[in-house]
This record gives sequence, C-alpha cells and structure tokens, in this order.
Amino acid sequence: MKIKKIYYLLFGFVLFIPLGLMTSNPAWGEWSEEHYKQVLGFVPKNIEQTKGFNAPFSDYTTSFLGDIGSYYFSAFIGILILFGVFILLQKVAKIEKSKR
Amino acid sequence: MHIADGYLSPATCAVSYAVVIPLWVIAFKKLKESLDEETLPLIASLSALSFVVMMFNIPIPGGTSGHALGVAIIAILFNPWIGFLALSLVLFIQAVLFGDGGLSTLAINALGMGFAGAFSASFVYKITKKYKFSLLLSGWSSAVGASIVIAIVLGLQPYFGVDVTGKPLYFPFDLSVTIPAIVGSHMLFFGVVEAVFTQLSYKFLVKLEPNFMKGKA
Repeated sequence: MKIKKIYYLLFGFVLFIPLGLMTSNPAWGEWSEEHYKQVLGFVPKNIEQTKGFNAPFSDYTTSFLGDIGSYYFSAFIGILILFGVFILLQKVAKIEKSKR
Repeated sequence: MHIADGYLSPATCAVSYAVVIPLWVIAFKKLKESLDEETLPLIASLSALSFVVMMFNIPIPGGTSGHALGVAIIAILFNPWIGFLALSLVLFIQAVLFGDGGLSTLAINALGMGFAGAFSASFVYKITKKYKFSLLLSGWSSAVGASIVIAIVLGLQPYFGVDVTGKPLYFPFDLSVTIPAIVGSHMLFFGVVEAVFTQLSYKFLVKLEPNFMKGKA
C-alpha cells in the first residue's frame, strides 16, 4: 500500500526526537515563575495562584526513564493515543454512514 | 505558543470557548465525512507528525526556543477543517498528559495554532498554487498566522485587570512586546522551519509517489 510511505516519514522524525532536547531555552511566554520575578520583580497574581493540575508526564518527563527515554516514551504515547482516537472515530463514522 | 493556565483572564477564556465550540462541531462533521479506511492512516499519521514536529524545540537568539506546527501540510493535503481539528486534538493531549499548554487556554491555543494556522496555510496555498514557492509560503504563513492570534490575545491581557497595587493579574506584557517577540520570531525562524517541513513532506509524500493522494476525500 502506497500510504506506507508516511509511516517511514513519521518513524524518521521520531528517531531523531532527542534533538528536541538539545536546548534548555524555554518558549517565549512559557517561563517559570522565577523568570517573572527576575524581569518584573513580581509574579502576576493569577499566574502565581493558578496551579492547574498535575499532568502525569509533566514537561515530557517520567519518573521511570531518563530524559531521552522519557522523550521517546512521550512521543510513543502521543502517537498511540492519536491513532486510537482516529481509529475510533472512523469506526463511529462507518456505523453512522451504514445507518443512512 | 502554548499558552498556560493562569495567563488569560476568565473573560478571554470564556469568549474563546464560545467561539471555538461551534467551529469544533463543524470540523468534527467534516472529519467524519472524510474519514474512512483509505484516509485514516494518512490523517492519523499527519496528526502524529504534527505532535512529533512540535517536540523539536529549536533555540533562537534571545534565550527562547520554539518549534514548527505541522499544520500546513494537513490543511493542504486534506482541508483546513481537518488540520484545525487534528491540531486541537494534539493540543488537548499535550495539555492533559504533558502539561504543555493549559486546559482553560485550550480554546485559544486551538484557535491560534489550529484554526489560524490551518486556514492561513490553505488560503495562501489556493492563491499561489501556480508558483513554485507556494508550499513554502503556505507553511510560513501558517506559523505566522498562528503567532498573530496568540500574540494579540496575550498582548491584550494587561488591560484585563490589575491587583490592588496596580500590577497586572494576567499575562503582563502588552502588544508592543508580544507582537515583535512572538510574530517576529515566527516570521524569522519557526515560520521558515514550517515552510521547509511543508515543502519536504509534501515532496516526500506526493511528488515521489504521484498516486499517493488517490482515494483522498
């Protein structure tokens, strides 16, 4: 099947994913609270008080793997879920279409 | 560009959800129409590719970093609605599992990186299709289009409220800072990366395999 080509592309990108860990620069606007203290002298109240929720693999890290291992793991989990969701949606779409 | 929880005023979050929900409903219908055994591997893989591309953090001068989005290629190969919904799903997974971007801010992140990204790409591709640089320009426009939405929303936050001492409650920098920092960096760096990614992945998938898009919705 021709479409297999895209799996090679995806696999190729995943293979080199540790390259994404080479910089410790944060994205603009995605700073720690210390950054606000340094630049402004204070942390805006709503940013300081909003703790949100604890993501299980916060910042693409895990408790059981090193940095690179965690990064591969995160990519794997993300891809798995995305495929899972689309497969599910396709099944739902198929059932709906057959009912018409 | 992933705006975190706490950065935006509740009013901004509420309005952005009111805008994005009907768009999600439309996009969901479009996706279900296009999704079948033939298109599933392609749509799922392109979404996965977007997730993976966003993990390639690229440092730029000034001590920050960023990444491409991988949305333009979905908008061009399929349609912008599917690009928008795929990115929304990617952003949701990033927020829930990896704490990358907030949930109260998911709507605005999806409107920026998803909606503006996908529709800028497909609009520019349509009007420049004849020219060789069309894919590059389309990829570049998607990142820049997304950055404009994010920069404007962040840059308006200082006007949404201050505490008793007059300090901003939400994101503290106004448009005069966010526009050059976010839009500027996407024009100079990340848009260029998205342009190259769009061009190369398109060539890889379509030009080397002309039958690749057969069966595409």
